[in-house]
Amino acid sequence: MSELRFVDLSVQVSGRTLLDRVSLSVGKGELVALLGPNGAGKTTLLKTALALRAPSSGSVLLAGESVAALEPRKRAGLIAWLPQHIRAEEPVTGLESVAAARYRFRESHADSRRAAERALARVSASQYAERRVTELSGGERQRVAFAGLVAQEAEILLFDEPANHLDPGQQQDLYRLLGQMWRQGRSILCITHDVNLLHQLGDAARVRVVGLRAGRLVFDSPFDAPALAEQLGDLFGIEMNCLHGGEQRFFVPRSRSTS
Amino acid sequence: MRSRALLLILGCALLLLGAVLVGPRLEGAQGQFIVWQLRVPRVLVGMGVGATLALVGAVFQALFQNPLATSDTVGTTAGATVGALFAFALDSSRTVQGLPLVTVCAFAGALAGSLLVASFASARRVHSSDILLAGIAVTLASSALASGIQYVSDSRALFAATQWSLGQLPQVGYRGVLLLAPLCTLSCGLLLLLTRPLQVFALGEDLAHSRGVNVPRLRLFALGLGSLGVAACVAWCGPIAFVGLIVPHLVRRLLGASYRTLLPMSLCVGGALLVTCDAFARLIVPGRELPVGIVTAALGAPTLVFLVARGRR
Repeated sequence: MSELRFVDLSVQVSGRTLLDRVSLSVGKGELVALLGPNGAGKTTLLKTALALRAPSSGSVLLAGESVAALEPRKRAGLIAWLPQHIRAEEPVTGLESVAAARYRFRESHADSRRAAERALARVSASQYAERRVTELSGGERQRVAFAGLVAQEAEILLFDEPANHLDPGQQQDLYRLLGQMWRQGRSILCITHDVNLLHQLGDAARVRVVGLRAGRLVFDSPFDAPALAEQLGDLFGIEMNCLHGGEQRFFVPRSRSTS
Repeated sequence: MRSRALLLILGCALLLLGAVLVGPRLEGAQGQFIVWQLRVPRVLVGMGVGATLALVGAVFQALFQNPLATSDTVGTTAGATVGALFAFALDSSRTVQGLPLVTVCAFAGALAGSLLVASFASARRVHSSDILLAGIAVTLASSALASGIQYVSDSRALFAATQWSLGQLPQVGYRGVLLLAPLCTLSCGLLLLLTRPLQVFALGEDLAHSRGVNVPRLRLFALGLGSLGVAACVAWCGPIAFVGLIVPHLVRRLLGASYRTLLPMSLCVGGALLVTCDAFARLIVPGRELPVGIVTAALGAPTLVFLVARGRR
């Protein structure tokens, strides 16, 4: 398994700083939850890891090599991505959509389809195999996209707000799947707005929570750090309550006075 | 799905056969001559041109992630028009190495227009929408150039240019087939080899990049190969509207959007459609041939409206 490292990374666009000297690593088998207000630079950080956006300075290293220098198929074997918005304009079936994620493998179409069937079964989405993705709901489409991520068989997985547009049940299911992949040894960097969903991963105490604001890393704490509620409150500029339910802690924004 | 595809192939084969046989009753040596020396090569040219335009349309729609993208979008047709106008303004009766000057100039213009856009597309960090804008810019610049040439041309050249711009399958015999076939075969054959990366690309440009597709290389190859085939077609026949736009949508609606089906079936349906339209153009006005471009445009516009209306339901 490989390591993902952002070293003193800055990204500037038209004189605007999107990322400012960010240094962060996602070690082998680690799960890092990335939080921050809208516009903090979270998605930009993920895109630099995929060589979709070039750094202005600093570097992104994947398995010790600069991500920009990696051959595309080799890079796809190291790192995969579930984007925030799943494009569904082509009326391909769920199976074909997942089979497309096997591009990095030089294999026959039949082999790709078999692997796609296995991936769909793994995320309990076999029922969408023959349905067109254009006809699926947001949650169903997200599950098919997740199957694509499974089918790609990369070592490091990037998630960009994967629970967006899902109902609470679907959110929990998705984070459970994410936890399964983590326990199987994948390294994961996941953007989320709801830190409480991390409980669904199964071993939340091992999760690192990283805060990003205005392109800068402002904290990097374990999920069970006592100061996390305060750090989250500072990050979003709100007051955050920490409630205890059994052995778990839940973070709830304190309601603002309306008067 | 497979049986539907087979039915469609059978239908295309029947249309091609019908296009050779349909028309006034032919007998004797003269009939043999008309069928084998005029109609068959014309049908072969129509097949090649229609297949290439339709396949390139399907490829460009994936490449630009835009359902309205065709070879017209990337400056190929506009470049060809400038070349053809230039030739008409000079002297359209001239030949170069036995080829009509109009064909040679239109081919050179088409390649020049595409090359400008392709050189922009080869840049590492441009998005498909940027290339589309570059294509529109080349098209507008070509239109300005074409207007300038038209302004200084005489009425004879203008009339010839107008006829050329309607799009017509020419009576070029087997020599025309032999000149067109290598370029169309090369273009279409190599584009079909890009089926797998195009399928991944069609699901999203950034996602394709993350899945291991070399996006700048794919864009450059697809754009270059597509433009080569279309340049050859436009040079011979003039701009033929709607085939590249309509056929991929039609196939997608009938057989789905798997590129393993979409690309080869666009090839088949495009060839059959253009040949059928040409047969129609030969017969619709007794004693006179309409340019096939008029028929494709007349059929294409309502078909597009129908497809859009069906798609919204």
